[in-house]
Order: sequence, then C-alpha cells, then structure tokens
Amino acid sequence: MPGGALAGFRIVECGDMVAAAYAAKLMADMGAEVIKIENTTGGDSARQRGPFPGKVPHPEKSGLFLYLNTNKRGITLSLEDQRGQDIFQRLITQADLLIHNVHPTRMPSLGLDYERLARLNRGLVMTSITPFGLSGPHKDYQATDLTLWNAGGLCYLNGGGPGSEHLPPLKAFGQQAGFQAGVHAAVASLGALFARLSDGLGQHIDFSIQECLMAISEFASIMPTYADQVVVRFTGNKAIRPLDIMECKDGWIYLCCVEEHQWQGFVDIMDNPEWAAEPLFATRLDRAQNWDALQLFLEPWVKEQSVEELYHKAQARRIPFAPVSTMGDLLNSEHLKARGFFAEIAHPQAGTFPYPTAPSQFSTTPWTLRRPAPCLGQHNAEVYGELGLSLEEVENLKKQGVI
Amino acid sequence: MAKSPLDGIRVADFCWAWAGPYGALQLAHLGAEVIRIESNTRMCPSRQIPPWAENERGINRAGYFNQYNQGKRSLTLDLKKPEGLTLAKQLIAKSDIVIENFAAGIMDKMGLGYEVLRAVKPDIIMISLSGYGATGPEKGYVSYGPPQVALSGMSSLTGYQDGPPRQAGFSYGDPNGGVHGTFAVMCALLHRAKTGEGQYIDLSQREACVMLLPEALMDYAMNGTQPSRSGNRDPYMAPHGVFRCRGEDRWVSIAVRNDDEWRRMCKVMGRAEQATDPRFAVLAARKENEDALEQTVTAWTQERSADEVTRSLQQVGIAAYPSLDGKDMLANPHVTARGFFVELEHPEVGKRRHLGIPWKMSRTPCEVRRPAPCLGQDTEYVLEEILGLNHAEIASLKKREVLA
Repeated sequence: MPGGALAGFRIVECGDMVAAAYAAKLMADMGAEVIKIENTTGGDSARQRGPFPGKVPHPEKSGLFLYLNTNKRGITLSLEDQRGQDIFQRLITQADLLIHNVHPTRMPSLGLDYERLARLNRGLVMTSITPFGLSGPHKDYQATDLTLWNAGGLCYLNGGGPGSEHLPPLKAFGQQAGFQAGVHAAVASLGALFARLSDGLGQHIDFSIQECLMAISEFASIMPTYADQVVVRFTGNKAIRPLDIMECKDGWIYLCCVEEHQWQGFVDIMDNPEWAAEPLFATRLDRAQNWDALQLFLEPWVKEQSVEELYHKAQARRIPFAPVSTMGDLLNSEHLKARGFFAEIAHPQAGTFPYPTAPSQFSTTPWTLRRPAPCLGQHNAEVYGELGLSLEEVENLKKQGVI
Repeated sequence: MAKSPLDGIRVADFCWAWAGPYGALQLAHLGAEVIRIESNTRMCPSRQIPPWAENERGINRAGYFNQYNQGKRSLTLDLKKPEGLTLAKQLIAKSDIVIENFAAGIMDKMGLGYEVLRAVKPDIIMISLSGYGATGPEKGYVSYGPPQVALSGMSSLTGYQDGPPRQAGFSYGDPNGGVHGTFAVMCALLHRAKTGEGQYIDLSQREACVMLLPEALMDYAMNGTQPSRSGNRDPYMAPHGVFRCRGEDRWVSIAVRNDDEWRRMCKVMGRAEQATDPRFAVLAARKENEDALEQTVTAWTQERSADEVTRSLQQVGIAAYPSLDGKDMLANPHVTARGFFVELEHPEVGKRRHLGIPWKMSRTPCEVRRPAPCLGQDTEYVLEEILGLNHAEIASLKKREVLA
C-alpha cells in the first residue's frame, strides 16, 4: 500500500488563498489524493500574491501558493458553466471529501449544494469553510483575514501598550485566520471521514472561521465571564513579569520568568546586581507591578548581551528564554536541521527551495513528498482522462473555455 | 442521541496547561471519551490561575481550566506510587489514544514511554506535544507558550512599522500546537482503522507555528530577505487597517480589496470626489499615500460607532467588522444566533457562557456533553466502569492515597 496515513482518500478542493488550501495540504502531505480545482480566469489568487523569486510576479512562482499546494494535482474547470458542472459532478461521484472556502453568496452559482451532491454520492463529506458560517445574521458579510482576526476577538488582544496607546489593535503577521480555519476544518473533516467508516454515510460540515478564532481567544472570553473584566492588549497588562521581548546587541530575545527559580537563575546570570535584592522586585507579582522600574535596570544589561549566548545560558538553568527568531535563524537552525524539518523541493518553473515539511513526525506514516505544487491546469489531461474524457473532448472543452 | 464521530474512542489524557488540553478538547468535541489523569500534588497550572468565579480562589473555579476542559472527565492518580502507575497502564490498555505535553523525555522517566505503552496496548496511538520536539540538539529545552511565538519567528514579523517585534495573541503557540496535534491523531486513527497499526507522533509546537509563516519563510528562501513589520497593512489592499471609532478604545477593521470597492467606500463616506483624487484612485497610489489615506478613513470612522461603520460598508459589499473585545464577543448577536455558546450547569461555578465548537455537522452532531470536570470527579467511574474494580478495592486504594 502506498505510504501515508491518509493514502486512498480522495479529496476535491475548491480553495482560494489559505483556509481550504491549507486543510487540503495537510491531508495531501499525509497521503490523501487531492485534486485542486482552480478557475479558468487565472486560478487561485494566492498565485498573484508573493513572495516571488527576484520579487518578480509570476503565477507559477508564488511562494505562498507553492507551499500551500504541495502533493496536490491541479486542474482548471469553470464551475459556472453547465458542462463544467457535469465534469464536477463526475469528480464528486468518486470523492470522499469536498472541501471549499467559497463565500456563501457564491456557493449556489458554483453548484456547491450539499443536498444535490449527496444524491450523487451518499458517502460524500462536504466541508464548507466560510467567514461567519452558513446561518445567522452576518452569514453573507464580506471578510478578509484582517477583519476575521478582529471578528474573532484576537486582534484586540495585541498592540498598544505603554507609549503606543494611540495605536490600533495589531494583527498577527500573515494569514492567521486562514491557517487556523484550515487546520481546525481539517480536524472536523477527518472526524466526519472517521464517522463514515461505520455506515458509509457522509454529511455536510458548516465551519465558521469567526467561531474558530473565538475558540482560541485565550483569556478574552474568560475574563468577562469569570471576573467581569475585559482583557485589553496583553502588551501592557500582565500579572507576571518579565514576559517580554527585549533588545540585545545583535537581535531580540524573549525574557520569560514565570517561576521563582527562573527569576533567581536570571539574577544569577546577571551576576547578582544590587538592585535585584530590592523588595520592589521580590515576587513575580511585584516584578509585574513595578515593571517600569525593573525595565530600566534590565534594558541596559540585556542590550549588551548576544541573543544566542543569553538564550543557551538561560536554558542551561531551565529558564524558558527564547530568541526572537528571524527567518534566517529558522532556516539555519541546527536543531531544525537535525530534525529534518525543512526539505528542498524542486518545482519545474519556480526552482528549488527549502520548504517546511510537516508539523508532526509520525513513526509509521512519515511525511513524504510525491509532487511539488501543480502548475495551473497541469493535471487536466491526466485527471479528465481518468474520468473517461477523450483527448478530443478535453481539447474542445479547452476551446470553449470550460477547462 | 445521535452518535458523534468519535463515539467509542477513549483518550488517556496526561496533558496539562494549555497546548495539550486544547488538542484533547477537539477530540472531546468530536465525541471521544477524554479522561484527564490528574493529581492533587502536581495540579494542572490552569486550575491555579485567575480569573476564578466571583474572585474566590478554588481549583474547580478557574475560568481557564473550565473553558479548555469542557466535555472531559477527571481521574486522580498518584503516578509516583507503583499502584498508581499500574492503574494508569490498565487505563491505557483500554484506551485508543494517549496524549501528553510534558517536556521531552518526562513520560519515559515516569515509566510511561511509548515502548512501555505499546507493550500494554499494541495498537496504541501516542502523541507527545513539546516545545522543541523529541529529537535534536535542543530537545530538552524548556518552552512556554508565550516565548514560542518569538521562537517560531512570528514575533519578528509582527509589529507596527519601525517598531519592535511584538507578541501575537498571548500564547498562540499553544492552541496552534494543540490543534495540529489533533490533526495528527485523526490521521493516525484513520490509518489504524485501515491497517490495525498504532504509532507514535512527535509534535514540536515551535514547528507547528513555523508552518503558519510561509510568505516570510519563502521570501527568505527565495530572496534572502525578510518582510519588514508593517502593522495592519497589506501589500495588495488599501485601506487595510483597524480604525478608531466613537467611544473609548473602540475600533473597526476595514479591508478594501480593489479600486472598485474604494470608489464604493468613498460614496458611503459621502466623499465621492475622493474616488478620483489621484492620490487614492488606484491601489499603487493608495499604497504610496497610505498615511494620508488612513487619516481620511479615520476622520470618517471616529465620528461613528464600529457597528455603524460595519453596517454601512457591508451594505455595499466591503469587508468590515468591529474589533471585538471579550465582552463584545460574548454578546455578539451573530454567533449567539448560531448557538455557538455553551452554558451548562457546573457544580461549583453554576452556568457560565463558554465558547463552543466552531463547526456543525449535519448527521453526527458534535456537542459539549458536560462542563469541565471538578478535580477527581470521575475517579470512581473510571475505576469501576472501565477497569472493573469493586468498592472494597477502591476503598483500599483511597486509604493508601493512590487516588490522590
């Protein structure tokens, strides 16, 4: 049997940008056979967003697209067209899972109708990842990653703080709403595939990105429910300190002293300065309350240190400091190299680059690379051939703009 | 009651704090019987941190624990006593999945390493979630959730323009590591269903977080450069930010995806003439003049409530939403209408509004079946119903403080 925990599962993905594509990537990387459907007007919009080699835009060279679509086969198909729909239905007949992140207002025109598709294939699991879910007063609202990060209550937790109170809530880098939706929706989808083992029946999953983000909002929902308080920007409000990023001579470090022995160890590393004995800094709660003063003592000392040295010195004493890693630090990390976290992947048009492989290492069914991300429509002939279309039919459909 | 996807699947859950518990929470959401193995002597930190209900300290009153352990059961065992360890192994023999998030190597030291467990239950699926993973030169390093955000590279990319690196979330690496762990477990379960084989999964929370940064990693891999911190801005959209609204510390997020949307927004703002202003007419110009652009938007938003701005922009199909704080979230009419919140009677804190499950399944519904457990509340259930011990045996174990 070909390797991979999900070998044998057939997945059809109608994904644009991150959410559905990441879910399907995680599954493809574990062995599932994923067919990604892209539109006939340029394909996935991730192809238009970089990064690009040499910073020159090219639809086959987007780093984001290349990463999100490893191990998939790609076809182009116009789902708005009736002939496109006929082909789509043939694909669905053979699929175990259809996963998409098409906006609810566009689902009907693309034939993403579970009741209708389930009549073709009672075993089909269909996962609809949408910004606000398929019901409720905001279901048709438009959204982007930024507005969802706010709608899920996460943005309000960051930014601001002393000296930047006038600045707005701050988003995390990148497309975090999309990634969280992707991995959570993959979990739900595999749950439904597992349920199907007993009776062969599929179902429809209504997945809300907003709710997914609320679900990881840490203290945000708990403080009002339990203490009638609102969490405002972790930056300035911490019960325990140091839990802070500080500048060294050659970069930045995260200082973390939660337990008393960790603080004592840090004081020791600093050669037990006199100020550290002040009652002002006696406990972790004192250190948080008097952070303004503590900061004035810490900053000049930390500024003289090298990140790597202080990091390893602290870790030798079981103090959980961490470097503020740059991308270069990650790609050059001896630890990540030893674990084989990055792998060189060659793509016929974009070239060869190191990619992150998988978030977990499996003892029996390890991550494997079967193919790099597909070029636009790369597997049309192959996939349509498998569906029984002749080369001539494929050629005709191409002329008519269906594929 | 309709069956849930993981009905009949049992999880021996040795997790604590947050990453592991969040991963196990997803398994409980899917219907697995998740049994937390706890102890009085080494209590889960999330039982010991505020907020507590009515500010009254208590191990069953902590909001954090009660949010992230919904639907699970709690068994107390003293694993330092040989009999406690034996009972843990008996439970594992009747489980499908073992999940833990101690630092690498701790389960081995406790006598509960994968090889031992496999001897007890040949097809067991075991997952270890740790900061650095179970191999590699830094495998023994200690790692908490907040510094993991920095360690993964996310902080170096997050922050205001020309400002220092910043935190994203607070402990974002924890739920992210947890849910990636659930994904791995689900893969292993499907593999086991097909082949009968179990396996061991080694998850590094740092690596699970690095998975979320491809735009930056690939930029470095391709060009040797790292994107600079740019606040809430986006290279392909403008305006794209969080803007001040009427009220104290109230904000709205707005993302304008193309020139046509910008023209519509100008109309909504009552500034139709601005649509043709050469400083703002096309994306390239708006990016060039983004400070001025944002001032224009703020001048409009700050006179209005975040809800009002959202409604008027959504009416013309522009992505906007208030920046919700915790209270807004719990009062949000949309997720309330969808039935997202869970309010179950808890013996010590009563009914509280907790966050529920972000997906709805049409045929095998997922639901939170019970509130988070009080410490040790299911000890007798587990020993009697699952391990088949009688009352006398349980009383004796209690007396010898094995169930502490």
